[in-house]
Amino acid sequence: MILKIKSKTEPYLYSAPALIVIALVMVLPIIYTVYISFTNMNVYHWKDFKFIGFKNYQKALFMLDSGFLMAFLRTVLWTAVNIILQLIISFLIAVLLNVKGLKLSKLYKTFLMFPWAMPGYVSILLWKMGMFNTEYGFLNHLLQKLGISKINWLSGNFTAFVSCIILNLWLALPFMIMIIDGALQSVDKCYYESAKLEGANFWNQTRYITIPLIKPIIAPMVMMTLFTTFKQFDIVYLLTQQNGSKTGADIHTVLTYAYENAFITNNYGYSSAVSIIIFLILLVYSIFNQKDIRGEA
Amino acid sequence: MKNKNNVKSTIGLVFLNIFFIFLCVVTLVPVLYAFSVSINAKNDFLSSNFSFWPKEFTLKHYKSIFLESNFLSWVKNSIFLAVATVLGGIAFSVPAAYAFSRRRFKGRSGILYILLMLNAFPTVLSMAAVYRLLRTMGLINTFTGLIFLYIGNMIVFGIWNMKGYFDTIPTNIEEAAKIDGADDFKIVLKIILPLAKPSIVVTATLILIYVWNEYLYVISFITGTSKYSLAAGLYSLQVNEYTRSWPAFSAASLLISLPILVVFFIIQKHMVSGLTAGSIK
Amino acid sequence: MKKIIASIFLASVIAGAFSGCGSTVSSSSGAENSVYDSQSSSGASHEPIKLVVWHETTPEIGELLQKEFDKLKPDIEVEVVKKEKMTESLKLAGDSGEPDMYFFAHDKIGTFAQMEIIAPVTDFISKDDLADMLPMTVEAATYQNQVYQAPIFFETTMFLYNKALMKQIPKTTEELYNYAKENTKDGVYGFLEQHSTAYYVAAWMHSFGGYIINENAEPGLNLSGTMEAVEYHKKFVEYMPIDGDYQTLSTLFLEGKAHSIIAGPWLIPNAKEKGIDIGIASMPTIDETGKPLMSYSGVQGISVMKSAESKKEAVAAALKQILKPETGIDFAKAMGSAPANSKCYNDSDVSGNEIIMNLKQNAENAKPMPNVPEMDVMWTVTENMLTSVNKNNDDIKTECEKAQKEAFEKIEAMK
Repeated sequence: MILKIKSKTEPYLYSAPALIVIALVMVLPIIYTVYISFTNMNVYHWKDFKFIGFKNYQKALFMLDSGFLMAFLRTVLWTAVNIILQLIISFLIAVLLNVKGLKLSKLYKTFLMFPWAMPGYVSILLWKMGMFNTEYGFLNHLLQKLGISKINWLSGNFTAFVSCIILNLWLALPFMIMIIDGALQSVDKCYYESAKLEGANFWNQTRYITIPLIKPIIAPMVMMTLFTTFKQFDIVYLLTQQNGSKTGADIHTVLTYAYENAFITNNYGYSSAVSIIIFLILLVYSIFNQKDIRGEA
Repeated sequence: MKNKNNVKSTIGLVFLNIFFIFLCVVTLVPVLYAFSVSINAKNDFLSSNFSFWPKEFTLKHYKSIFLESNFLSWVKNSIFLAVATVLGGIAFSVPAAYAFSRRRFKGRSGILYILLMLNAFPTVLSMAAVYRLLRTMGLINTFTGLIFLYIGNMIVFGIWNMKGYFDTIPTNIEEAAKIDGADDFKIVLKIILPLAKPSIVVTATLILIYVWNEYLYVISFITGTSKYSLAAGLYSLQVNEYTRSWPAFSAASLLISLPILVVFFIIQKHMVSGLTAGSIK
Repeated sequence: MKKIIASIFLASVIAGAFSGCGSTVSSSSGAENSVYDSQSSSGASHEPIKLVVWHETTPEIGELLQKEFDKLKPDIEVEVVKKEKMTESLKLAGDSGEPDMYFFAHDKIGTFAQMEIIAPVTDFISKDDLADMLPMTVEAATYQNQVYQAPIFFETTMFLYNKALMKQIPKTTEELYNYAKENTKDGVYGFLEQHSTAYYVAAWMHSFGGYIINENAEPGLNLSGTMEAVEYHKKFVEYMPIDGDYQTLSTLFLEGKAHSIIAGPWLIPNAKEKGIDIGIASMPTIDETGKPLMSYSGVQGISVMKSAESKKEAVAAALKQILKPETGIDFAKAMGSAPANSKCYNDSDVSGNEIIMNLKQNAENAKPMPNVPEMDVMWTVTENMLTSVNKNNDDIKTECEKAQKEAFEKIEAMK
């Protein structure tokens, strides 16, 4: 009897410390934001704010105009392109890194982690000034050497979008590569051995053994990367929209649009409502798209 | 027949190596750029006469970082924060991951799902909330507060990553151990952890990189440049657009990244799976 | 694996031993301490009052401030601390008791005053103490008829040129235009300016009688003066690099690839370092209006947090020290900054400094940056408009009207 109670409460006990910390650090801010979203906390009522019901949400829904819709669609496109490219490229690289006999694989892996090791905003600044800069950037330097004319990377909508994707891939691939590489380690080698005995080639092995087996491990990581990519603000903002160096490209994502239209007003009540709405949109979006995650749990 | 296969695989390997060398060079271009700027004597960040090999070398930027700034304090602060967070993060996540993996209990899948969905929240405005939280707990301007925040941000990843890996470990070993009278703690310590080494290593690395590069919390909640971590110190070096010294800045960013790479290189041998056909027997 | 764990433990023990084993609570004047008198170990009968001043600027300025405040010892001990993202932290720290004062440009005082986290300086000192200040600086520090800042120095943008390249200085903007036209070729530019940055284009707007936003928080982006200025200004953009950001422009000038540039005084030390023989001239006059370019000015000084009201006398003493002419002169000598205190100009070092006198001259025509909270949203709105006009060649009238509408919407959204 005692054993039964013990085994029933065990899992809760084991996970309690973790869950408590998460509740404080991640859940509490969300609750606080919801709370503020129902008040009129702004520059004029910084300390003496009061409850104003759904007014902020009404205001926020007005902000969801055509500009927001464009930004939303663009963000969906941005997320999809990035995730697909990341999955394919990092899978290939991870698999290739694990080919038997590749002696220097450790060295390669380490070098490939560099983009991740450097602090994010440093990388973005370096890319903005050192790589994409029209006058002095390395990319244009290269183009000129090859006899091609300079490209204004960050000012056309399409080229700016592509530039942001390149930078995002550069920053995000190391993580994906490492996750997939770790997951590949979990696949029991005997599966491959028996498959080889039955004459399966590389592609079949990959399709029928590797992918199904690593899917459960990487699925949640892909999910988290999906959110991170969707919420990505720094890259788009710092490359094209920072005050003092706007490039004229209009490639707003949901977060940059929200930033320019809500967050800079210092109206915390309003901005909180906007955050909550974005949160809900993401939740709904992911519920529809990722039923497998529920299955994985 | 055997020779043909050997030749084929050798050629394949040669190509593979070339491919990776090329990939690494391409990936490292911005880094090499930063390096070249940092050893450039003329303080040219942007220059129309750019070349990777600067005309005049100097190591003075590196020297000045070590001697003039609080670099060494930053290093020890970062090490302390990173180690504490890694240890704490793993300590909190492992039991939870084990519970989620090996036990079925009410709310299990719901909680897991919620944990994942928490990441959908745009954290742009969370600073105010986090500040209130720390202030209420009296942890403003303390490392404990920072570590607390860092662990909180990393646990979801830790739980999911390790649970996923634990799931792939067959349970028969544990069942055998239980019959022999081992309790959960022993099982986790002696069986699960060694087998789950790759995922522990991955989790630890992720936490390390997160803490090492994290500057926003430090800058917002810690006052006093000598108490900064490396990433925050780096941020403080640039002051503003007009007074930034690009060579010093580049030098500092490279110095900050190197330890991570060294760590990464060393831990790689632990990323190999401990699961072999033999372990089940 | 065991080895790794062992070395990690070793590292953490060592690091922990150095950082005081665990939480590093702020040592000197932390939040808890600043409200009470410190425990002075020397057992002196008079315990010093401690004040904390935050700043977000260069270490040099931080040291200068510390030096000035150190003159108040031993009764008052001021700690000058650099705080990154200071304006954000001030919003969060608000009432916490730390800091007591901060050093920053004047444009934030409207926002902070509305948030009720700063107190007027006249709560601590009298208006007479500000009598010697240049009127423009006090105007900058005033929001809704209250003075919220004790000014130390100010800056405007300047017309700088490379003496080796530019022999004749254009007096009017038409002359400047023709100069740029003739001399911009082969990667060298006649005239540079951050053409799509609101701070710089405002100078042109003011000369035409337009403005971005006025003291009553009314945006003026579709005023005829503003639109004419943007239109007139656009032709200059043709002879400048399309990336009008500071990095590109300063690199060009510092490499000797530009004859002239409108920039702030911060460029001068960099230029001298690079061996550019840099000259300073007056702002050119716009032919059409007869007025020179009237740039924004930024006044840097000390503001006081409301929570410091418990330390009235100490704060008053600190403010009075800052307002003394010696402070302005020390800053001027060390950094070439133009003091806000008119008495400083009696000092020969100050009046003999070319940069300072040029700034003072510009100040006569300059307008302080608007300090109303609504200005916060105007930067983005104005720059979006400028970028569309200058980089995408959109129609000026349409963009200005659009921007004006956007400005109203955002200001509404602030409430």
